[in-house]
Amino acid sequence: MKQILNGQVSRRAVLGAGLASAGMLAMPSILRAQDKSLKIGVYGGYFKKSFDENIFPEFTKATGIAVESIAEPTGEAWLVQLEQAAKAGQAPADVSMMSQTSTLKGHGTELWTPIDMAKIKNAGDLLPQFVNKYPDGRVAGVGAVAWYITLVTNTKVYPTPPDSWAVMWDPANADKLGLLALASNSFLLEVTAKTFMGGTKALDAEDGILKAMEKLAELKPNVRLWYRDEAQFEQALKSGEIPMGQYYHDVTGLAAADGHPVRSTFPKEGGIQDSGNWVLTRASKKVDEAHVFIDYMSQPAIQGLMSRKVGTAPTLKKEVLDLTPDEFAAVSSEIEPILPRYDLYTTKSDWINQKWTELIVAA
Amino acid sequence: MSGLALQDVTKQFGDFKAVDNVNLSVPHGKFVCLLGPSGCGKTTLLRMIAGLEEPTEGAIVLDDEDITPVPTHKRNLGMVFQSLALFPHLSVGDNISYALRIRGASREEQKRRAEELLKLVHLPGFADRPVAKLSGGQRQRVAIARALALSPKLFLLDEPMSALDAKLRESMQVELRQLQQRLGITTFVVTHDQREAMTMADLVVVMGEGRIRQAASPIEIYRKPADAFVADFIGSTNLLDISADSSGCSSVLGQVIPDLALPAGTAKASISIRPEDVHLGKPGPDAIPGTVTFVRDLGGTIETFVEAGGTTIIAVATPRERVDVAPGDPVGITLPPEACVVVKA
Amino acid sequence: MRREAPKSIADYTPLFFPGLMLVVFFVVPFSTMIAVSFFKRDPAAFYTPDFVFENYARFLSTFFGGVLGFSLGLAVLVAVCCVAIAFPFTYLLTRSPRAVQTIWLVCLLSVLSLSEVIIGFAWSTLFSRTAGITNLFVWLGLMQEPIALLPGFGAVLTGMVYQALPYTILVLYPALVRLDPTLLEAARTLGASPIRAFFNVVTPALRNTIVATLIMVFVFALGSYLLPQILGRPQHWTLSVLITDQAIYQSNTPFAAAMAVFLVLISLGLVGLTLLIGRREAAA
Repeated sequence: MKQILNGQVSRRAVLGAGLASAGMLAMPSILRAQDKSLKIGVYGGYFKKSFDENIFPEFTKATGIAVESIAEPTGEAWLVQLEQAAKAGQAPADVSMMSQTSTLKGHGTELWTPIDMAKIKNAGDLLPQFVNKYPDGRVAGVGAVAWYITLVTNTKVYPTPPDSWAVMWDPANADKLGLLALASNSFLLEVTAKTFMGGTKALDAEDGILKAMEKLAELKPNVRLWYRDEAQFEQALKSGEIPMGQYYHDVTGLAAADGHPVRSTFPKEGGIQDSGNWVLTRASKKVDEAHVFIDYMSQPAIQGLMSRKVGTAPTLKKEVLDLTPDEFAAVSSEIEPILPRYDLYTTKSDWINQKWTELIVAA
Repeated sequence: MSGLALQDVTKQFGDFKAVDNVNLSVPHGKFVCLLGPSGCGKTTLLRMIAGLEEPTEGAIVLDDEDITPVPTHKRNLGMVFQSLALFPHLSVGDNISYALRIRGASREEQKRRAEELLKLVHLPGFADRPVAKLSGGQRQRVAIARALALSPKLFLLDEPMSALDAKLRESMQVELRQLQQRLGITTFVVTHDQREAMTMADLVVVMGEGRIRQAASPIEIYRKPADAFVADFIGSTNLLDISADSSGCSSVLGQVIPDLALPAGTAKASISIRPEDVHLGKPGPDAIPGTVTFVRDLGGTIETFVEAGGTTIIAVATPRERVDVAPGDPVGITLPPEACVVVKA
Repeated sequence: MRREAPKSIADYTPLFFPGLMLVVFFVVPFSTMIAVSFFKRDPAAFYTPDFVFENYARFLSTFFGGVLGFSLGLAVLVAVCCVAIAFPFTYLLTRSPRAVQTIWLVCLLSVLSLSEVIIGFAWSTLFSRTAGITNLFVWLGLMQEPIALLPGFGAVLTGMVYQALPYTILVLYPALVRLDPTLLEAARTLGASPIRAFFNVVTPALRNTIVATLIMVFVFALGSYLLPQILGRPQHWTLSVLITDQAIYQSNTPFAAAMAVFLVLISLGLVGLTLLIGRREAAA
């Protein structure tokens, strides 16, 4: 969950949404389009604001389908609401932005209407991690937004950029790190497995997870802050108070562009790529419109637009994109990413969480 | 000098002079009442003796030692507060032995002394009771016993009886006086009740507007008030202007009073005459003519209000001396010269 | 005046409103929480209504016992520190001129308007190496170089005491204003120095107020979950932090509810024990 992007500008977002709908009413071409409409759930705050401003009006213009955007609450509350509404045949939103873990949790109750990839023109260009499949191969969700969590450093404290996640274990960095506090949002188990255990496959078995945790325990003396709130770490990183840690690639880039002495580095093991899917609740009758929307969103031009305007990593292969190298580097990298083992956080979540908490909280 | 002396004591609160240049000396063993209307500075004066207020100027001297800079807790005095200030969390016995506890006396010593003091104030066996369970009079006695625990040199009481009902107050006054005489302790009581002062005091100090107006024995204060303020404050009195003619003869309401002289340097003065000294009779050539306006028969005394020469004169008589008059009746008033006291206006 | 026992339903109407409030704001939420704490957790979805003890069973471990112990200990320490600071302070405040009191009370009320987040960030800045108070000490020549005073137990304690202190003062204030000032004076005339009189007259005379304030601050501190995260190391995270993690981040509402119920019961038990001891002492 990308909370720094979710928590802000809610008031401005509400105002913006109001103005946008007023604008739509004023335009006859869009009035006509009202018989075709789609309710789309987007993470509240930054994402909703960016989509309302840059993406949805273009979509309506191009397809004639009116969009009603709905701010989703954070966490899994939206999944629960969709689940309960679907039981009653209701759809609070037709298409929703859904975290990978929540998408997997929806598999159990067949909450997601399978998506017909034949209707998605660029289906072949989607990176494999952005097609979420039911165990039997049907497509449950298609990548909506993606972002990288990378190794960030304060340039004043670290004049040369680090090249590997392994520097976090360096005893010289005692009390210098800021890391996310939870197994399911820091993905540090995956980082450990990729860096020291040959890949995230090592986490398949429980003893592999325990081994990764043992390795992580060695890291503890270096951690100054286990953060849940991004703002807490960002400030400390900028001031050099906590000069190293894991953080969002695009936000760090923006801070650097503003003149702060920070940098984001893709280590040789890769940055952590987290993402959300577009999913369609089974209670929705707007299957066709939803496919039009997902198809529209998966075009190279729109993915480029999102990278430039919203700061998300593209879900398509680099070759088909119209991004300049600089624009691409601002949101992504060609180094193979570390992909979180979302399956672990649905099947073994309580066990991992318990072990993780014990690992960290133990003095 | 053995005793307590106040030398030029002044206390100022901002622009307000609560106590204004007070001088007083009291030998040991005396019972002193500081008497005056509220706001006259009597409580402030008592608190300065206790060390709870610091004098702005002047010195407080006890047995030739200047105790002005000595903090309260080193002055060896006992004080009873208007609120009594009994410690609510302690039993009667522990309240009384608090001072001994502070001095580090043994538990047995504390118990013995508490019981002794409780006997002194007629509350034997009360040591284990909580103070909340006591009646008003009992609380009063406990507060007195507590203040006397260390056999202090000075015993100070700030309006100690004000919370008691009239009957209880009278008996406590007598009891307190007897206790003081038995112990021979130098005692200061602040009161605004002149009866209380008359009952208990060896020396009454009348205060007004921060100054001592008169300090004398109760009977002298009553008989020879120093000024109109004192005369008026102590008991009830008739204050009548003196007019002096060119020959130096002084008269009051046309009645010439022999041997009456204005105090030197004053053009204007009054006489004070107590109502029981005013003689009421038939109108006559030697009497001041007046008209009865009101009669109050209280059984034990009869008060007659007479309008004469533009003022009202009150005369009090016992039933035996009764003159039968009714409102509207003409009467003649005579003022016995020996009862007239000249006071500054 | 004799009080009539209520006879008809109409006689009970004055009780309806408070009763309703009690039901709406306490009985319903707390019962819901108790009910959810017995629900079955479904890691792949959310939870299903059931009656299982596994949420409580998971909590009964040395790990959570340790966290619970730390949380209670921290809350007690915060309460003791707050009252130890606030009691003499409030006493002196009530003895100062009216205008001074007003200024202080306005300042305290404005501190109350600060949220836990703002307090946490303010202290994390004050305790930081790059912008914190140690820079001032260096400038004054008291220290060689600036250091970070967080994360650590001291920082957590400071932040929590700072947060609870205005409440403590405002709760103590009315009782201390009503306190008869002659109690202290009486003790002084009996030979006690002002400090001694404060401790063996003023303090015991207000014992019930002090106990009530301790309990209030204790309960208040028990609910703090942001300050331990912002100012402390993971070993200083309280049970409230873990409850938040379970409820918000793990969507494990049954377990969060079980922990919350446990916390409420333990604190109620401690409060009851305190009152019981207090009563026994008072009776003795």
